[in-house]
Amino acid sequence: MFPGGLGYLRPPAEIELGAYGLDLRGLRVADIGTGEGRLALGAARDAASVLAVDPDRGALARGRAEARRQGVSNVKFSEGAAQSLRLPDASFDVVIFSWTL
Amino acid sequence: MVDALTEAHRILVERGVFVDARPDSRVLARVRARSARGRVIGTVGTQRPTKTDDVMSDRAVREVLRRKLFRSRRRGRLWHAIPFEDESELNDYLRDHLRFSRRVEWRVPRARRRNPLFVERAVRFEILEKRSNDGLTSA
Repeated sequence: MFPGGLGYLRPPAEIELGAYGLDLRGLRVADIGTGEGRLALGAARDAASVLAVDPDRGALARGRAEARRQGVSNVKFSEGAAQSLRLPDASFDVVIFSWTL
Repeated sequence: MVDALTEAHRILVERGVFVDARPDSRVLARVRARSARGRVIGTVGTQRPTKTDDVMSDRAVREVLRRKLFRSRRRGRLWHAIPFEDESELNDYLRDHLRFSRRVEWRVPRARRRNPLFVERAVRFEILEKRSNDGLTSA
């Protein structure tokens, strides 16, 4: 298989997260600039919880729908911008900016 | 951009991990023929404004490293292939693309371009670790 995956405009979550080489098991993850939750839903397979943040309400709605379709319950989608996150200090073990900066 | 990185730093626990992943505009995307491992028959660059944005993003990351908010743990790159049925479909894709140049720089004449086509682009990432707040310096 081609290492980046085929048939997607962006790499599949398992490919991209695999490249990072991080063990997300039991961790609290924030995916900032999540869009439709591509990486957030992938991270949710291992992470304890994932917060998926994006300013685009439409994308968040599609992400929530996809989470429901997949039966994923440990991802929360929230509207917000990377420059002013309304989140408590020291509340995440991993923060991901993928295609965000 | 530095604001966003500072926010990421704030919400991370001590020694928490930050990931910055972006398409690598320093590297030309390759157009391969017939398969994702096929011969490279062209390249696609990045639009100049996007390259400028990427340089600014790089500077922002360097700035937070300079301020000792983070330390760099690892860098890497992965390649991602996007399939297209033919040149027409690829041109339609590029026409509205926000990052890629609008046209392919072909290396072979039209008669030798075999379908399907695959645009293979680099995605680079860096893994940073949050440093102790004791190390903070002012902007």
